[in-house]
Amino acid sequence: MDSSRRDILLDAVLLELSRTGYAELSVQGVLADTGVSESEFESEFGEKDAALFAAYRRLSERVVDEAMGSCSDDERWPERIRSGLKALLEMLAAEPEMARVLIRSFPGIRPATYQCYVDLLARFVPAMHAGRDYSGVDEELPSSVELLAVGAAETLIFVEIDAGRADRLPGMLPEILFTILVPFIGPERAAEEMQSAATA
Amino acid sequence: MNVKSDIFSPSERGQILQAAADLCTEQGYAEVTIEDVIDRSGVSPEKFAQIFGGEVEECMLAAINAIVAEVMSAVAASYSADRSELDSALLGIRALLELMAANPSFAHLAYIVSRQMASPRVHEIYDAGTGLLAAMLDRLREQSVGFEPPAKTSRSGLGGAEAVVRAELMAGRAEQLPRLLPDLAYGATVGFLGQEEALRLATRGRELLRGTPWE
Repeated sequence: MDSSRRDILLDAVLLELSRTGYAELSVQGVLADTGVSESEFESEFGEKDAALFAAYRRLSERVVDEAMGSCSDDERWPERIRSGLKALLEMLAAEPEMARVLIRSFPGIRPATYQCYVDLLARFVPAMHAGRDYSGVDEELPSSVELLAVGAAETLIFVEIDAGRADRLPGMLPEILFTILVPFIGPERAAEEMQSAATA
Repeated sequence: MNVKSDIFSPSERGQILQAAADLCTEQGYAEVTIEDVIDRSGVSPEKFAQIFGGEVEECMLAAINAIVAEVMSAVAASYSADRSELDSALLGIRALLELMAANPSFAHLAYIVSRQMASPRVHEIYDAGTGLLAAMLDRLREQSVGFEPPAKTSRSGLGGAEAVVRAELMAGRAEQLPRLLPDLAYGATVGFLGQEEALRLATRGRELLRGTPWE
């Protein structure tokens, strides 16, 4: 199966998951919609779950690439975070069904799928490491400060997607930026960055 | 501090709730059936039906309700007029972590299953519980000097702490949760207190872990 057809199929599997839930998910319906034969599907994936995991891996890659690819090393750390966050929020707002798959439909299936979500969040942790140097108080910061920052932002994003309000995420950029920056640079400096993002 | 490891009583109802929590942790919410819960708990199908009817969701609702009630009770008991708001918050976080460490299945149910795996009815209870904790944390707003924390500071502060807890749970390190006290105290409060004061609170958390007497 060539990569473009494979990508179309994997996206279709995730959208079907979003609409039907895991228990009702039918690969046959997806195959009919995408023009992929059952034998091609079986040759490529074997069974439904393998396709689902591959599809979620691909979605995770897209999300991480979108956010990380928007950051430039020439920017100050808070600006890098702002650029990456802006791209991420715009992507989630533009693809609300995929956003829901990302946070709930797939992670909620069973512990192994939930682990993929935990792994996805962990991929944003390295982008936070530079916040330690920028903070000026690196040695004093808690060892889990990076995940505290990622988790704080994830919570605000999760609530909006789960409530069907993914379209509001880009407008929340300043406040979500604050939540990421505040464990590193404190509320006063984080508020300045928030103000800057609000007026940009 | 005494932590009840048997959040659910040793009654047949408690055995069912424990079994449901254990199965959710192992298999995920959607995979758990009434038959699984009956087998694991050792109670009769008749008893299960008598207590929870024919719906496994009723059992899950009862389990998460019991956990939220236990968490709120433990956290509320940490708040006292004799203590500062900060000491109360620190002791509240410690109480919560010790409770979860004492029963990892409850922690999974509270922090992972009810948030991202369960039905909307179960999720509503998670939302209500986190809303109450956020309201308690939001009392620190009065201690913010020279800046106005954004509206969702308590929710995001708790969210950061929850993410660290979830990562530990998924790594199978529930028993280590109490050691996170300094980190979580810092993350939950820095948006209100400022960095210097939140770092001081984290230090106080480390003293608590070492058993250094206060005052």
